[in-house]
Amino acid sequence: MSYTSYTYLLIFLGAVFICYTALPKKFKWTVLLISSYVFYWINSKRLIIFLLLSTVAVYFAGVFLNRINDTAALAKKGLEKEEKKQVKALVNWQKRAVVALAVGFIFTILLVLKYSAFFAHSLNSAFGFLHFEELKFMLPLGISYYTLQAAGYIIDVYRGKYRASENFGKVALFLSFFPQIVEGPIGRFDLLADPLYEGHSFDYDRLCKGVQLIFWGLFKKTVIADRVNIFVSEVFGSYKYYSGSIILLGGLLYTLQIYAEFSGCMDIVTGSAEIFGVPLSKNFERPFFSKSVNEFWRRWHITLGAWLRDYVFYSVSLSRPFMKLSKFAKKHFNEFLGSLVPASFALFFTWLGIGFWHGAGWKYIAYGLYYYAIMTAGMYLEPLFAKLYSALKIKRDSKPLNIFRVARTVILVVGGMMLFRADTVGVWVGMLKCVFTSFGAGGFLKTALTLGMDKQDFLIVAVGAAVMLIISILQEKGINVRDSLARQKLPVRWCAYAALVMAVVIFGAYGPGYDAVDFIYGQF
Amino acid sequence: MEELIDILEEIKPGVDWEKETDLIGNHILDSLKIVQLVGALNDEFDIEITPIDIVPENFKTAETIYAMVKRLEDE
Repeated sequence: MSYTSYTYLLIFLGAVFICYTALPKKFKWTVLLISSYVFYWINSKRLIIFLLLSTVAVYFAGVFLNRINDTAALAKKGLEKEEKKQVKALVNWQKRAVVALAVGFIFTILLVLKYSAFFAHSLNSAFGFLHFEELKFMLPLGISYYTLQAAGYIIDVYRGKYRASENFGKVALFLSFFPQIVEGPIGRFDLLADPLYEGHSFDYDRLCKGVQLIFWGLFKKTVIADRVNIFVSEVFGSYKYYSGSIILLGGLLYTLQIYAEFSGCMDIVTGSAEIFGVPLSKNFERPFFSKSVNEFWRRWHITLGAWLRDYVFYSVSLSRPFMKLSKFAKKHFNEFLGSLVPASFALFFTWLGIGFWHGAGWKYIAYGLYYYAIMTAGMYLEPLFAKLYSALKIKRDSKPLNIFRVARTVILVVGGMMLFRADTVGVWVGMLKCVFTSFGAGGFLKTALTLGMDKQDFLIVAVGAAVMLIISILQEKGINVRDSLARQKLPVRWCAYAALVMAVVIFGAYGPGYDAVDFIYGQF
Repeated sequence: MEELIDILEEIKPGVDWEKETDLIGNHILDSLKIVQLVGALNDEFDIEITPIDIVPENFKTAETIYAMVKRLEDE
């Protein structure tokens, strides 16, 4: 049941909303829990067992951590400072064991189901005498998202950020909430717990705003993303038959597709959750206005970046061995390198994690390392850029420089997206080679119109992308488009809503030639 | 407080640290700078800043950083 299907939008979401509204406040969260498990069952059937296993592991780990903390608090009463330290050390050891077991267990499930074929294949290829069976498993829906969410929850409890919930149903709801189970955003317990469990009464404005956001997401997904899919698939599937200019257009359209689709899906799910008064975390903040790749990743798939920052980057870079490395580097290099060398080590793990999270394949690891290479190069070359700007008397905040930096970021990101979409790293290199060596602009238009998109399709995509761009520019200027629209007079407001609905119905990519396209990020 | 300002100045020169009201929101301190800062604070004040302390509220202004350092010194 896709988020863009009528079954989800009209039947499922409608039925859940009616039940949620009809039931008394204290039972409302159970409606969300039951509907989330029904949603999961419809999509994943028996694989629901893996979601349940992870939930049970995390729930019991949380309860154990609560018990350890309670016992320690009692034991510490009346003790001297030194004795308290001894208790703390013992307690920390116990807590670490519980977290390691729980996180190890849920990540083992993820690794076995998602990566065992990749590991077996890589080992068999590297060592001829090994013959591991390359087992491929069906992946439970959203396993890469709920595993991170579950691990984040239990690590936060371990770190003392909040107390674990002792209500199994509530933990189960936090990990399975149907709007975010397929593609995230990866939620945090301290932000989601209250809105999920407290139960909200019917609110007309909230309903309108939620539906409005759902339609905006549908617009991005069906009018823009799905329409370019045939073109993109053709170019990436048989790039050898096309000139560099067509490949470049394919890369640009894929970048547009993945952004419209992923951010569109986030709008649909955020709107779905908003109807129930649950605010989901933001996953996109107009990433294509970024002036650096670093900034791009602060504005693209924000919850994944934040997760890796909080639970991988800080854990690694603040660990004792890394602190020692940092001191060593400061002692033996100059101040600049002393601070960069350890940081680049810690970042390596973060980017390896980003690459690996996206999929079981070398190209995904290359994808993570592509950004790692760009970012570390940027860090190490920073003094050189500073000197260059100063020599050329270019102001850091000048408009032309900012336009150049945005364009440079877009080019680097399109390169990264092409790697993400290409079948292998070799194909990606081949495509880039074509772009640089046989651009072949002659006959560009003629060929472009034979790859599954006619003039009308290009026009619809261009208008759709322009609408998206205008709204992004307004938001970038600090204008809250949704609130501004809400302040308009009723006829204006309803005309805008009607135009959006009509655009989805009339210009959405349906019918012959357009199969319902799965969400790209729903396959992780 | 002076020691803290010296450390901050060393990590990122040219910022009016005592007047800045949102070091995180205004991207003055990013995750790399925070790690450098934590290393320096741990050494200078003999404290242990752990990942749980790394929340925007603790790094919002020079004063909130100072308050965190004082709290960890007392623990």
